[in-house]
Amino acid sequence: MSALPAPPSKARTTVWSLIAGLVILACLVFLDVDWGALLGLPRSTWEYGVLMFSDPTWEKLPRALFETWRSISMAWLGAILCVAASIPLGMLAAHGVGPTWLRTILRGIFAVIRAVPEVIIALILLTVTGLTPFTGALALGIAGIGTQGKWVYETIESLSDDASEAVAAAGGGKIAVLRWALWPAALPTLMSFALYRFELNIRMSAVLGLVGAGGIGSMLSNYTNFREWGTVGMLLIVVIVATMLVDLVSGAIRRRIMEGSRARGLVRSR
Amino acid sequence: MTNTAHAAGASASAAWPIRLENASVTYPNGTAALKNVTLTIEPGEIVAIVGLSGSGKSTLIRTVNGLVPVTSGSVTVGPHEVSRLRGRALRELRSNVGMIFQAFNLAERVNVYRNTLVGRFAGQNAFRSFFGIASPEDRQIALDALDSVGMLDKVWTRAGSLSGGQKQRVAIARALSQDPRVMLADEPVASLDPPTAHAVMHELTRLNAERGLTVLVNLHLMDLARDYTTRMIGLRSGEVVYDGPAASASDADFEQIYGRRIQPQDRLGAS
Amino acid sequence: MTLVLPPKPRTWPKTLGIAAALAVFTLLTCLPAIGGVELDFAAIAKNWRHGASKLAQLAQPDFSFLPRTWIPMLETIQMAIIGAAAAALVSVPLTLWAARPSNPNSVTRGIVRAVINVIRSVPDLVYATILVALTGVGALPGLITLFLFDLGVVVKLVSEAIDSDKHAYLEAGHAAGATQFQLNRALTLPQSLPLFANQWLYALELNVRISAILGIVGAGGIGRLLNERFGFYAYDDVSIIILEILVVVILIEVVSNLLRRRLA
Repeated sequence: MSALPAPPSKARTTVWSLIAGLVILACLVFLDVDWGALLGLPRSTWEYGVLMFSDPTWEKLPRALFETWRSISMAWLGAILCVAASIPLGMLAAHGVGPTWLRTILRGIFAVIRAVPEVIIALILLTVTGLTPFTGALALGIAGIGTQGKWVYETIESLSDDASEAVAAAGGGKIAVLRWALWPAALPTLMSFALYRFELNIRMSAVLGLVGAGGIGSMLSNYTNFREWGTVGMLLIVVIVATMLVDLVSGAIRRRIMEGSRARGLVRSR
Repeated sequence: MTNTAHAAGASASAAWPIRLENASVTYPNGTAALKNVTLTIEPGEIVAIVGLSGSGKSTLIRTVNGLVPVTSGSVTVGPHEVSRLRGRALRELRSNVGMIFQAFNLAERVNVYRNTLVGRFAGQNAFRSFFGIASPEDRQIALDALDSVGMLDKVWTRAGSLSGGQKQRVAIARALSQDPRVMLADEPVASLDPPTAHAVMHELTRLNAERGLTVLVNLHLMDLARDYTTRMIGLRSGEVVYDGPAASASDADFEQIYGRRIQPQDRLGAS
Repeated sequence: MTLVLPPKPRTWPKTLGIAAALAVFTLLTCLPAIGGVELDFAAIAKNWRHGASKLAQLAQPDFSFLPRTWIPMLETIQMAIIGAAAAALVSVPLTLWAARPSNPNSVTRGIVRAVINVIRSVPDLVYATILVALTGVGALPGLITLFLFDLGVVVKLVSEAIDSDKHAYLEAGHAAGATQFQLNRALTLPQSLPLFANQWLYALELNVRISAILGIVGAGGIGRLLNERFGFYAYDDVSIIILEILVVVILIEVVSNLLRRRLA
């Protein structure tokens, strides 16, 4: 048998794994947690699960549906606001559309908004519009601009230059390029992202409800505090079903949009 | 059934025959890929199956190790009737049938050694599988197999960084480490350039000559079939239209198999 | 010469229909009577000064408050790391069960996917609120919340990525007589490692942002301090806390990008 070459050194991966392991271990050891409670968790989950789901309080369902529509409305209006703001701003932040200084400022604003959690934006807005669903919608709208704006300029930059060059060659200015080349090509992807923002907002709106903006979140928070587990169980079922429904419908619409645009050659299929 | 370790070049376990009787395969979407095929391949034969894409070659070769089940008729490999096997028995049959593919089918991010070791998985126990620790015997078998195809110097390289010809040789090593009775090759050289293609075909012929393995090769190029195999079976639209010695197959025979005139791309060219 | 044009395709009925549907939907969301949102632009006009002054106050962080934030912030980071690590571990078998190439059994695959979908449908703060009622205030409910949230994210995204990839080596493995488990352990796992690593790091980034908030409902971390200071109208303290969260989030994103490139 010919000579067997030496196996490559595993020293580097071993060192890095050890470091990662030590970091995690350190976090575990120094975290002040009642680990005993963790052991008792399966049992208490079962007990509370039974309390919540063996006899859900369906009498309160109409109120739950009312609040669910409130959450959906917050999510929807927030999505509209977010998309309406992020599309023009995102376009300006894309390479080749606006001037460089504007691009840097806008991207910086997006990054800052992205880093600030939605709840904090909601808390700030509370002082202006009070503890209302409107505040929730505004918070969702503003908070989403960070991520949505980033997706918009990334989409624009990923478009092929062919159409833009054609318009420019025919004598069109920046606005013509935007209107006739970039906008039609980007539209399906942007619409898809808009719907996705709606899906994300649905989850977020329950969270905002917990800080008082109304909606199913606040109902959940109240009844959890009252320890009325039957109602909590019913509310959880409503939240799960509603979220899964929205995901299903929105996901299906998004797939149809992307398929249609792929068929028309607007989107490069991977 | 123990897979005995063996040094390269020593005679392998006795080769198996392959028998198809009225084998038909109809896919769920309605396509009839094989229609009443009856064939017998004797142990130690090296046979080419020739035909255009869509003729049923891929389906035929996959009925031999059960990757595609027959919808009617039977397939017998050695003592096993493939159509009847499930689970553990099927895996045991497959461990005796080596197979290489057009796309090499290696895990690109994994090194050559571990790719070759896959051939030993059928006999490996759960403990070793879970921890990824091969027995010393399995390790030696895999290394020997790599050595016999000349790929030992690349044993610790990631499979993805090899050339096409090298990948196919690793695939052959993987099949060899099973100590198989039958070797299946589904268009093994279709993705390779002419010199490399000739090298791999030569490798298959060598395995057939030195170890007496029954070899079944799918090919779509006429000269490779004529040069490297002793018997040729022509398939067209799922039916056998030719079965005879490979060397004496004429251009007219090929035209009958292809169902059209011969074109330049049907020949590979000089090695 | 008059040109004969082919008939112009009539797309306007469809576009009109979609626009009408959207308009009706939006209208329904603005009706407070059925639960819609009451658009109170008057409030903005009246109170925007409040918001502006709060923003101005927020722009003046009180750095002297920083020492009081160290321990809660550390707790936030610890929760984020442990939650991500635990989820990473459990996500491996679950993801392989949820993807078609690695789990041909459609029954078990369906069950795992259904469970993951249900887990994903519950928002993170909802988990936290209920868990706090179950186990009491502290870092434990926060840890479990992050664990569940990360599982939902990682399993869904990685299993979908595995589904959309080609896995030709699996056919060869089956042809050699190996079991699905052997192939997953030896081949599918190393092949999917970049996908996993990507999502684990993404989960870590998300964790830091979320765990900063969980404290609001008592699930540990800096959120509790944030809520408390907000309640006292101590906006300069609130401001320094927000700044701190921002810095940590950006740091984690930088580290995560570095790690991503090395693990790819």
